Amino acid sequence: MHEHKIETPNEKQNRHKAMESVNVLNTLKEGFKTPPKAMDYFYNLFEDVYCNQKALHKDKVKVGTMCIQIPSEIIYALDGVPIRLCNGFYTDDEIGSDFLPQKACPLVKASVGHLSSKNLTDKPDMIYSPTTCDQKTKAGTLIASFGYEVVDVDFPRTKESEISREFFRRSIREFSADLSQKMGKKLSRKNLKASISKIGYAQSLYHQISEFRKNKIVPILGNDIFLVTNAFFFDKIDNWIEATEKLVEELEQRVKDEVNAAGKISPRIVYTGSPPIFPNYKIPLIIEDSDGIIVADETCSSNRMFNDRVAVDEWFVNDMIDSLADKYLKACTCPVFSKNDDRIRRIVELVRSHNADGVIYQAFAGCTVYELEQRSVLEAMEREGISILYIESDYSPSQHGQLSTRVEAFIESLKIKNRNKK
Amino acid sequence: MKYFAGIDIGSTAIKITIIDENKEMVGHRISGSGSMFYNYAHQTLNDLLKDLNISKEEVLYTVATGYGRKLFKEADENISEITANAIGAVAAAKEFGAIKTIINIGGQDSKAISLDEMGNVVNFAMNDRCAAGTGKFLDACAMNLEIGVEELGERHFNSKGTPLSINSTCAVFAESEIIGLLGNSHSVEDIVSGVHYSIAKRIVKLVKRVGIKEGIYFDGGPALNGGLVNAIENELGKKIFIPTYPQVTTSFGAAILGVDSYNYQSVGV
Ligand code: SF4
Ligand code: SF4
Repeated sequence: MHEHKIETPNEKQNRHKAMESVNVLNTLKEGFKTPPKAMDYFYNLFEDVYCNQKALHKDKVKVGTMCIQIPSEIIYALDGVPIRLCNGFYTDDEIGSDFLPQKACPLVKASVGHLSSKNLTDKPDMIYSPTTCDQKTKAGTLIASFGYEVVDVDFPRTKESEISREFFRRSIREFSADLSQKMGKKLSRKNLKASISKIGYAQSLYHQISEFRKNKIVPILGNDIFLVTNAFFFDKIDNWIEATEKLVEELEQRVKDEVNAAGKISPRIVYTGSPPIFPNYKIPLIIEDSDGIIVADETCSSNRMFNDRVAVDEWFVNDMIDSLADKYLKACTCPVFSKNDDRIRRIVELVRSHNADGVIYQAFAGCTVYELEQRSVLEAMEREGISILYIESDYSPSQHGQLSTRVEAFIESLKIKNRNKK
Repeated sequence: MKYFAGIDIGSTAIKITIIDENKEMVGHRISGSGSMFYNYAHQTLNDLLKDLNISKEEVLYTVATGYGRKLFKEADENISEITANAIGAVAAAKEFGAIKTIINIGGQDSKAISLDEMGNVVNFAMNDRCAAGTGKFLDACAMNLEIGVEELGERHFNSKGTPLSINSTCAVFAESEIIGLLGNSHSVEDIVSGVHYSIAKRIVKLVKRVGIKEGIYFDGGPALNGGLVNAIENELGKKIFIPTYPQVTTSFGAAILGVDSYNYQSVGV
């Protein structure tokens, strides 16, 4: 019989994550109609990073962020690379369960589990942790106890007030000063303006793709888009831009050639709620596997990263920092805020502009804020006459059957409604 | 000479072990259980005795175990396969040291048994979902891959890529998954190691229910599959012990119990 060494805990973690990744990537590549050629870049990227442990930023200072609320423009301007640490692996979720209550948010558990293992290919040199939801806030302190340098970034809980605005501006100024000192580099008009316009350009690519998804014939799956936007968490930005430019070109052609990524009568879905982060595409995959097509989303792992552009009046460093703070706060539709009319408005707007048939709202079991906001969103959709399905899920692969039955039933009901309209 | 027989009538196979009064294994035989349990059991026993040149009269005590144990009316005693497995494992693992945890994968079920210092059963768990994580599941996968079950181990170690996970726990759905993977020209090797890891993960969950204690013993036919052993070891992060004849631990245990019962009974008279 073979004599074989037993895997070390890190090897085991890597294998588990590779298995999770390959599973999702194979489904994307093989489970649907021909994906755009330009997607190969992204499939390979995820395979390199998560199956072959390829580090992308060896010679760079890596600035970890615990949430979307840390302006990457500032990090790029100071020559750092932002790495968003929000994590979607069930493997890491299970590791994180040793540190957090079983019922905690899987995203937070997975992020904590990943960092606790110290098994990271692009290990962050420092981590900024915005005090957004309770669990993220607590996670920051926990992660610091593993030996990482973690800096809290104060975050307000109301959005509209002048106090909040001033509060977050100060917070981002503090963050800039802290990072600038750590990097030994100053923010200048030139470097900040350059990074703002680079991110602005990346956003514009996303907007072009969104336009294609408004068409009757949708040229790309929502799941592929999640992969593209997820790559923005960690990829080399110039490579990402180049690959996304190619994708835009190809999609433009596909629209002309009427290449449909969906079925003939696939209901059009707007996806909202807790962010799907690779490889936790459980619900999005079920949706598109059940003949739905995700035409837009309202999540902090995708649409919310690209939605609003920075509005700068004066191109002075301090003004630019303030404008960045304003943009991040205003655009944020995370349920951590007291009121969230913006989020509801955004969802309705997406449904209208993308001609969607229904909304699927997913909350992670354990995320109190998304669970809490469910009621108001459901009521608002009812008022607007928009069909909506609310589902809770976590990262475990086990409830697959039950979830897909619910999603299928919802999508079928949308099809029936459409047929009856005719 | 005095001999003792242990007969394990399982769902897919009949396993018989003959031992001497010193509890040393003299011989064993395995045959398919098929539709006629009873006849097969007798025939297997007769064939084995003939091979070993032992007369029926020399067999002083017979203990039956396994699902079909009640059908073998001639047995002097019958015991549950949990107890028999534990006794057999403790004896078979002598050279390995004390064992505390037994993993058994049978034709249609899998078990985890937890033992105390003395080798007594303190807890056990069985899989609750059909063929998932059993020998049947492996057989079905091998069949879909058009390879023999005995090839699985070798294929596993030749896997170069990431093991491809099989998500279905049901053998019927797993079949269509495997066919899908083959259709997309994934390598048989990566599928095989994926199958092994899928089973291994399920087994480890089962073992966790009784608690993982150092001194782990693995038996049942699938323990001959080195690839599966490797997968379970990796999932547990621990070395496990495989006996020389993993298929017959339970009948071996039944026979050992026969010696003790025989001695007890003859003293008692
Ligand atoms: S859900 Fe809210 S707190 Fe969590 S990462 Fe997204 S924006 Fe940040
Ligand atoms: S999903 Fe909920 S609990 Fe998790 S990070 Fe986002 S807001 Fe926090």
